[in-house]
Amino acid sequence: MPKVILTVDDSASIRQMVRYTLSEGGYSVIEAVDGKDALSKLTMPVNLIITDLNMPNLDGIGLIKTLRAKSSCKGVPILLLTTESQESRRLEGKAAGATGWIVKPFVPQQLLAVVKKVLG
Amino acid sequence: MIDQYKQTFQDEARELVAELESALLELDERGDDPEVIGRAFRALHTIKGSGAMFGFDDIAGFTHGLETAFDRLRNGKLAATRDLINLSLAAGDQIKSMLDEAAGRGVADQRRSADILAELQQLTVTGSEPDGATPVLPESATNRPLRDWRIRFRPKAGVLVNGTNPLLLLRQLRDLGSLHIDLDTSAVPPLGEIEAERSYLAWNLVLRTAAAPEAIRDVFIFVEGDCELTIERQPELAADVGISEPPPKRILSNGSVAGSEASTSVRVSAGKLDQLVNLVGELVTVQARLSEFANGRGETEILEISEVVDRLTSALRENSMSIRMLPLKTTFERFRRLVRDLSLELHKDVELTIEGADTELDKTVIDQLNDPLVHLVRNSMDHGIETPEVRRAAGKRPSGTIHLSASHSGANVVIRVSDDGRGLDAEAVRARAVERGLIDASARISKSEILGLILAPGFSTAREITELSGRGVGLDVVRRSVEGLRGTIEIESEAGAGLAVTLRLPLTLAIIDGLLVRVGQAHFVLPLANSLECVELTQQDIRETHGRHIANVRGELIPYIRLSEYFQIERPQPDCEQIMIVDTEDGHYGFVVDQVLGDHKTVIKNLGRLYRNVQVISGATVLGSGALALILDPHRLVQKVVQSTSGKRQAARWSGAVAKQDSR
Repeated sequence: MPKVILTVDDSASIRQMVRYTLSEGGYSVIEAVDGKDALSKLTMPVNLIITDLNMPNLDGIGLIKTLRAKSSCKGVPILLLTTESQESRRLEGKAAGATGWIVKPFVPQQLLAVVKKVLG
Repeated sequence: MIDQYKQTFQDEARELVAELESALLELDERGDDPEVIGRAFRALHTIKGSGAMFGFDDIAGFTHGLETAFDRLRNGKLAATRDLINLSLAAGDQIKSMLDEAAGRGVADQRRSADILAELQQLTVTGSEPDGATPVLPESATNRPLRDWRIRFRPKAGVLVNGTNPLLLLRQLRDLGSLHIDLDTSAVPPLGEIEAERSYLAWNLVLRTAAAPEAIRDVFIFVEGDCELTIERQPELAADVGISEPPPKRILSNGSVAGSEASTSVRVSAGKLDQLVNLVGELVTVQARLSEFANGRGETEILEISEVVDRLTSALRENSMSIRMLPLKTTFERFRRLVRDLSLELHKDVELTIEGADTELDKTVIDQLNDPLVHLVRNSMDHGIETPEVRRAAGKRPSGTIHLSASHSGANVVIRVSDDGRGLDAEAVRARAVERGLIDASARISKSEILGLILAPGFSTAREITELSGRGVGLDVVRRSVEGLRGTIEIESEAGAGLAVTLRLPLTLAIIDGLLVRVGQAHFVLPLANSLECVELTQQDIRETHGRHIANVRGELIPYIRLSEYFQIERPQPDCEQIMIVDTEDGHYGFVVDQVLGDHKTVIKNLGRLYRNVQVISGATVLGSGALALILDPHRLVQKVVQSTSGKRQAARWSGAVAKQDSR
């Protein structure tokens, strides 16, 4: 069974790129447009969540905090999409319970390498 | 594909610039509203992030300057002055003209970009924040000498909750070179205090690698700050201590450390080991007699001695069994070559991944495991993994993966061969099975039962015969070998997504977990692994079925074999007999015995050459009383009886038989 990855980003182009890259890598991908949408889509178990930091409604940090408080989502790897200028936000994300991060911009191979790093 | 992204990005960026403008205008009217600033920031952030990703570096670079300003604004380090808003609006226009240029409409004025950025610089106090490190992929070890690194890694208790899997980190280290792992369990609290979500373990590792120290550090990049981590060079001379591998020749030829390694292992011939295990087997038997005798005498002194001997014997047995245990490594590694060669031959791109190669198994089991594994891997290569073209068309990665893994599970070893190939279409399997007369067209059986049918003799779904497999020698060979090892086999598959075959094997063949039964004065042992249950066979049952040798067990009709008849044991007919229900290749069968005495862990002894052709008996064991008990092979026994009674098809039973592969 392919592993399921949820990508959370308010940018359609990023979602599209993440979806394409991960599907090529043999994963199955579901999308959410922001943290709130992600929570509503997490009725089924996923193997990994890749989330942007800045999003309307519920941002990445808020999403991670909510997820880590749910018993069903403890231990699910969460990757942050950050930009190089967001060191402090990245640390905030780590503190909230993120597993790792990917710095934008990235190329498909980098994304796959990081996903493989946390999913095995 | 990429052009489509660019189009999506352009549309999106235009929307975002409009969003930015409206936020700026609102900001102008209402002053510093954090919500509105947040909206503007997010718009810029997304333009920058996606822009860089899809090759609009100029847009990304330009937007970055603006985003920095808004980040400061958001954090209250800057005020939303009219100047700033005007400049931001101008910047928005500039982004639009850059987008136009990218779409082939007009040319953006690069000088203007620079001007706007310069003005922004003036408005905002400069002071760049530190850059975040990008995880670097481990670079390939090029020409660097092999070095030993001593790594101590203790993750904080909460890392598991945060989705970190320490096992994966160790695997990544292992990918860098040879890794010696020592687990430090000193911090594990008493059982009652353990919280399942917390991590209590630490690892002391020695990694021999040519990779750069940065590559080692990069493995831990996501847990930095969440763990205690020390990575240090190990001095060359001490390197061999604690590493099971022989030191590189280079050091040996220097003569400086040779000799320190000499006493750690001894080569012994397999024959001597077999002899040892045989002798221990005898000892166990004698011990059983001794303890029976001691118990009967009721003398404390002899009872005490017997108990000590008992303890020593079991320790000796465990120990001598463990000597015969070998890691699966060599067996597994051999497949790398096989997969490589077959890849070339079949024009397929296949990667072999191996997991749990240090899982240990009795040498005799390993020896007999090679052929079935070769068969399974070939099967995956030949029928499972598609050619790169087909894979691409199906939306998969062009290169396929075959995964070999082994792990312990109680007294069993679980070996799994899985691939991400085309998998099995349950419907096709079913159709073929009907065609071959293995099941009835109307049979209602589950998916796992259907998949199990591919193990039936003479079954093959491959449409054409190729060089490698599919020449009529099907997976039934695998099934037979695995069952010969007293193991079970299970198949999972998703059409289009791959196939996984799981073999469950006993750790050793020298000891059997059996059920001891009695028929008249004779004793027999039935393997416990296949035994399902034990029910009474009353005279009434016999009358109701008119002597047809069928018992009704909770609605299921189970044919049975009377051991007393088969072995022609003459004894007075007991009032009540018992049926051992056993799961065989041909479905559930009952074996009628006088009495079930209980479970019996015993050392298997071969019957010797004279009895080699007696197929229904797989060995013998000596009981505590000194009496002999024959170990039955239920599969063979059923086959014999079925063959001899009539030539009627037993195929219909297949559906029931394969379904129970995994049940105990």
